[in-house]
Amino acid sequence: SSLKDDLSTSPQLFAPLSPYDVDLPIQTTEDALFGSQFNQPKELPADFSSVDLSFLPDITQDNKEQNLSEDGCEMQKELDGSIPRNEESSIFMAESSLSYPDTTQASPEASGACPPLTPMTPMTPVTPTSESSGIVPQLQNIVSTVNLACRLDLKNIALHARNAEYNPKRFAAVIMRIREPRTTALIFSSGKMVCTGAKSEEQSRLAARKYARVVQKLGFPAKFLDFKIQNMVGSCDVRFPIRLEGLVLTHQQFSSYEPELFPGLIYRMVKPRIVLLIFVSGKVVLTGAKERSEIYEAFENIYPILKGFKKAS
Amino acid sequence: MAAGGRCPGCGSAALVEDSHYAQQQLVCAACGCVLAEGLLTTTYTEEEHLREVAYSQSTGQKEQLSRCLQRGIRRVQDLCKVLQLPRVFEETAVSYFQRALQHPSFHLVSLEKKELLGGCCVFVTCRQHNWPVTMGTICSLLYAKQELFASVYLSLQKELELSVPALSLADLVKTHLNSFRLLQQAADVPAPFVEDKEKVVARTMQMVELASETWLVTGRHPVPILTAAAFLSWQSLQPGTRLSCTLGRFCRMAGVDLPPPAHLRLKELLEILLRMASQLAWLRVFKLDKKTVVKHIGDLLQHRLFLLKNAFCQQDGEEQGAAALGEGSPGSSPAAAGVAEEKGHPSGGKRQREGGPRPLLPPCLIHPRKRLRTAAPSPSGSAITGHEPISDSELEQYLRGPEEIRAFSRAKAWP
Repeated sequence: SSLKDDLSTSPQLFAPLSPYDVDLPIQTTEDALFGSQFNQPKELPADFSSVDLSFLPDITQDNKEQNLSEDGCEMQKELDGSIPRNEESSIFMAESSLSYPDTTQASPEASGACPPLTPMTPMTPVTPTSESSGIVPQLQNIVSTVNLACRLDLKNIALHARNAEYNPKRFAAVIMRIREPRTTALIFSSGKMVCTGAKSEEQSRLAARKYARVVQKLGFPAKFLDFKIQNMVGSCDVRFPIRLEGLVLTHQQFSSYEPELFPGLIYRMVKPRIVLLIFVSGKVVLTGAKERSEIYEAFENIYPILKGFKKAS
Repeated sequence: MAAGGRCPGCGSAALVEDSHYAQQQLVCAACGCVLAEGLLTTTYTEEEHLREVAYSQSTGQKEQLSRCLQRGIRRVQDLCKVLQLPRVFEETAVSYFQRALQHPSFHLVSLEKKELLGGCCVFVTCRQHNWPVTMGTICSLLYAKQELFASVYLSLQKELELSVPALSLADLVKTHLNSFRLLQQAADVPAPFVEDKEKVVARTMQMVELASETWLVTGRHPVPILTAAAFLSWQSLQPGTRLSCTLGRFCRMAGVDLPPPAHLRLKELLEILLRMASQLAWLRVFKLDKKTVVKHIGDLLQHRLFLLKNAFCQQDGEEQGAAALGEGSPGSSPAAAGVAEEKGHPSGGKRQREGGPRPLLPPCLIHPRKRLRTAAPSPSGSAITGHEPISDSELEQYLRGPEEIRAFSRAKAWP
């Protein structure tokens, strides 16, 4: 990509290119602080009014150190994955050797040399990526919405389309289905549409476009605005039975297990914000994701926890 | 105005102090004219004789709470009294209820749901103190539909972020068996069927422990397991007379409902017991079936730890594949495995022979229900980008032709 080229050829390696805005200016600030360190070796700069910190969203020293140590995978998500990883981390590493002699003191936010604080919210423990489960959850359902941006006459649509169902007494929308990709759409008179049943994001987009085209062919000036994936559901099998009573004991603040109501355990993971349904057979359903990486991440987080219960019986 | 005055109407001196309902009045005995009313007491001694006003009434504390909240709190308190819960539970439940009603998601729900909310708060309090009570009990006390109760309970748990520990089955045994009439002398219960409660409770607890060890409890509704376990325990205490009694008759005599899954739980428990019996040396000579094994439940429960280890091969970090259950294992030598397994040495080979140890797995894995699945799309095969062109011909199939439209509108199928 063009950004890659800029990186390697441009002499202004530290000029704020847009994806790097968040990071590179930090270097200059650190330089400034570092410089000030030299001038006042004993005194920490308590007044940061001269330094322009407006670019900093909420990157604290912790995040920076995390970014350095976790191979830039945090930044990877923010940067939309357009830059190859190793290049990114090499920039960081180069910078770290120059400007971070004493990172704890050089933090613009911390006053005094306090060690990085760990967040107090209960976090599901993160596992090191080396112990990958080898199981990939399969996507089962994608729910997306799109705005056709024109008012629709639902009775008219139901009359002219073969694959449409409309029962205004039961539900105020037309239910339309297509065969390929096998999906169902709810089309409202406001022009908003919900598309469900696809097995991938691309399939969901293609299906939504087909529905929009059908509506166009029926004579409405339908557009295709604000297509958004609202929910993704995945499932997989860890292939060993799980003691749900034990899991609810050790992870009480995340779990809800009510055999009187539902045979599975409902695990509400905090990061990423995913709900998992865990069953005694070892099958796991993951839902609530807006991106498929959240599903994969959630499963990688839960797998070592579940493995811990395999031998506990 | 004192008692020594004269009536202004008739001039009589016969003034009496009477109270009109609760109000003190000075009345003339001759003409009935009221001279004074609502006298404030003037001396401390006079005040002593009156009843004190309750704090909640004088400060208007009750009036600060809305009527709905007051009614709900009263309902929560009544429920706690009916269930004979400790005083602490009542306070906790009331505080949960107040917190919940203030929450926007519960503030405007229907009255029916608000009634259930009180029951949910009591239920959560009981569970947090490990006080055994089932949702079924609360629902029957509130005359509530279980699905509605379930939805209110789950949203309560989520909104107030309450962590509710799992229900302990062992605790539930005692409270559940309390309602069994067979455990007390009753007129319509034949003498050989009456049983001592303590013995039944003790044996049922062991049976329930066995069930949870062998994966019969996880994910299942607790009450049918308790019913089946209680039935087997009761039968085994006097098998001679009781073997002929069916589960249905047992429940009728005990005065409890027979939940439909109880038959399945009974079958599963008997299967486990039969496998364990195959490992007891002095029982191997008998050809036990699901009736006769009941006679030996006492022995089986006594040695259950040893028998479980030998009757079932434990999963030692091996992956259970569906293939392993039905077919012979290709890896291990079948001959050696056949003899060695009987002695209780768990090996990798899993064979489906009569009396051979089977893996200790939940029933849903032992008898997987074969579901027809559409072939999973291979990740690289369907390289859909979402931006493909859409052909008109494909969309034509979804549009009605003019004759069709005419036919439909003639049929006046539209509202």
